[in-house]
Amino acid sequence: MSHPNFASQLDAYLDGELAPVDARELEAHVAQCRECIEFRDRRLALRAAIKARVPTFQASDILRQRVRSALHKHSTIRPWRTLAIAASLAVVALGTWQFATRRSAGEALAADVFTSHVRSLMPGHLTDVLSSDQHTVKPWFNGKLDYSPPVYDFAGRGYPLIGGRLDYVGGSSVAALVYARRQHMINVVLWPTARSRAQGPATQTRQGYHLLHWNTSAYVYWVVSDLGLVELREFSQLLQEADSARP
Amino acid sequence: MDSHEQARFESTVLPHLDAAYTLARYLTRNDHDAEDVAQDAYLRALRYFDGFRGEASNARAWVLAIVRNTAYTWRRRHHSDTLGTEFNEELHSDSVADEHPEATLLKRDAGESLTRALDRLPIEFREVIVLRELEGLSYKEISDVAGVPVGTVMSRLSRARERLQHALCAVEEC
Repeated sequence: MSHPNFASQLDAYLDGELAPVDARELEAHVAQCRECIEFRDRRLALRAAIKARVPTFQASDILRQRVRSALHKHSTIRPWRTLAIAASLAVVALGTWQFATRRSAGEALAADVFTSHVRSLMPGHLTDVLSSDQHTVKPWFNGKLDYSPPVYDFAGRGYPLIGGRLDYVGGSSVAALVYARRQHMINVVLWPTARSRAQGPATQTRQGYHLLHWNTSAYVYWVVSDLGLVELREFSQLLQEADSARP
Repeated sequence: MDSHEQARFESTVLPHLDAAYTLARYLTRNDHDAEDVAQDAYLRALRYFDGFRGEASNARAWVLAIVRNTAYTWRRRHHSDTLGTEFNEELHSDSVADEHPEATLLKRDAGESLTRALDRLPIEFREVIVLRELEGLSYKEISDVAGVPVGTVMSRLSRARERLQHALCAVEEC
């Protein structure tokens, strides 16, 4: 195989891990490429050989027994520990309650969006659907949400689409779309205006992340990133222009 | 842990003990250490189970991630002298054709060839093969377990397979 990138594409295809659009493109190529057909057949043979000859193992009875007895020992929590846990939970609950009553609903939503962004940057949490193709990302939300979020491709303007995921903000499932600017990730969280119209400050900064917020007639938008404020505003401008150009 | 949590652990995590042991076995490459790693991993799983709020279907990847981390800790402790060579994605990937001492060995024993070739892979390649081919995890789950991006999972899998392919072709027509 002369191009290793293509090999991994073909592997992903055989694993059923390629986005439908990319898969169709690949199938069209493989159909007329002898080298690819041979590669595919070798891989299928390898897969069969692994299945037939590489064994899985069974945990021994001793190991199973040890794990079980650890499980039963674990169930007896000493009373003082229970008390300590209860006490600390009470403090947390009190703290949360006081905090919650002090801040407005808009602030609570901003906090949710901010948390969602930070969590998304942890390994493996960024996207549920990984594709730079808006026509793959948009339909992915079908059946997962009661709305179909607008997805754009600003790759030509330096903000490529990375993918999307389901997230949970303000007590409901929402769409989160991920765009990038160089090494910076931008999360766009949005839900229908009809659901709840958030009133929050248009711009805020927390722990080095900028959070922009606006409402259109159709959607409540939150955009969050560690990108500089000037570029993040430019990106928001692109979103607003694209939205207003929609029929 | 109350009896309800205990039952939840028993029904969601305990069924993956064989999978956990299999991963530990391939990461440590021997029965004895695999037992230690799997047991240690399950003790950790018990301790952290409160924090596991995922669906039962995610329990497999969750416990395999703990096994993987336990095995890496075990490895650092027992092979601190051999850790001089850090895994290098490029270095360990492209020189497939010119070095496979496995070939000579393999001709002797075609039946074990693939398992041996797998055992000889760098651990970063071995784990993606085991997680995908033996445990049937998705790329996303492997990415969570190994703590690397999906793109890296994809290229590691492909390169690991390329190596196994060479080993297989050394003993068989292909």
